[in-house]
Amino acid sequence: MEIAYPVGLVVVAAAIIIGFTALVREKDDLHRILLTDLAEILALVLIALVATDLAEALILPGLVVGISELMAISEVYITKEGLRAPAGPAFRIEVMDSAPGILALILVAYGIVLSGFTGGVIAAVGVVFYFMCRGHAEQFELIETVSGYAWAFWIGAFFIFMFLPGYWFFAVMIAGGAILIKVMAKMSLVGTMRGGGPDV
Amino acid sequence: MFNLPTPNIGGPELFVLEFGDIVAYFSPYTAVLFVFALIFTMLVIVSRPERQVDIAFGGDAYYTKEVDPDLLRFQRFMAIACGLATLGAMVTGDVFNFTLFASMVGITNIGIVAAYRNRHVLNAAFQYGIVAMLATVPLFGGAAIILANTGTLSMWELFTGAVAVPLFAKAFLVLGVMGEGMAPFYIAKAEITRAQGAPFILMIHVSSLLLFLRVIEIVLSM
Repeated sequence: MEIAYPVGLVVVAAAIIIGFTALVREKDDLHRILLTDLAEILALVLIALVATDLAEALILPGLVVGISELMAISEVYITKEGLRAPAGPAFRIEVMDSAPGILALILVAYGIVLSGFTGGVIAAVGVVFYFMCRGHAEQFELIETVSGYAWAFWIGAFFIFMFLPGYWFFAVMIAGGAILIKVMAKMSLVGTMRGGGPDV
Repeated sequence: MFNLPTPNIGGPELFVLEFGDIVAYFSPYTAVLFVFALIFTMLVIVSRPERQVDIAFGGDAYYTKEVDPDLLRFQRFMAIACGLATLGAMVTGDVFNFTLFASMVGITNIGIVAAYRNRHVLNAAFQYGIVAMLATVPLFGGAAIILANTGTLSMWELFTGAVAVPLFAKAFLVLGVMGEGMAPFYIAKAEITRAQGAPFILMIHVSSLLLFLRVIEIVLSM
């Protein structure tokens, strides 16, 4: 093993000491959630230090576990403090009235050009921005359904890769388009579905 | 090919299930733990929640509290998920899978506790959530250090004498499981055992006990 791994371990150990000391000293609950999230990155760093393909594969489940625990205790925090979503729009800025249409259009169009995961994320940013500015009274079940079909198309494309490899270009097109729609639909739901409205 | 290298701790293997290079197994020890977890998961599935009884002081009167069906359904789901995660942690033959199952037990424990609307119970759930999140640092860190030092995560390789696992990594693993299995302490703190929905709370104790027993077996065998 080269020198990089022990040095990295020492750096992580120092970071763990700093992070945990901060957690002990911090008294505000919200700040402690944020510090906990920071401390969790260190677990990912420890995995990343292994620096093999296997480590790369192990980071994803680690990240998912961290995010789900973060979401769970955030929900507990919201319930505990009795926080509610504001009734009206949170702030009034003029650009939020004029920009959403054109900006969302540009982002979604550019996302479709990129396609795949990246395109899905960029298009979703446009959609999220639109929802954030204009409010949302759409039928989220419809978006969910579209996302589900897109996922099925994505899987179907993989079957084409496996059983009919000669048609790979067709499969790439299906997979790219389907994952674009799926990522966009899923990400646009983030932050819009919560609050226990009538549609949930 | 499959011979458990250290039969003096968990006994010889009884059953081996191979998923590629991830090989789940039963030894007499883990089989007993598995059956124990299975029994309690079954109990959670079939049982109905207890209703809390309050006695009016100074008289013969008492009243029972209603259990909200939505809350009951959520709590039962979380308890069953907790049971399944415990079952997984008992049979797995891979250290990283074990850490993932342990943190899943942690998440479901937060879910079981957080179903109540009492403020002091939610406070305890929040504190436990912070501890469980922090525990993933030593938990995954321990698995990562084992991987970096030995080049494998399979218990079949790690249990052989040829592979030396650093003591530091073992300590990290135990520390992580301690954090995830800390829930009974917070339950006692919030006196949840006196709140409604008693059988589901039992799952927290069972899962934490079994996780401890299993991690001790893993650490001793390594």
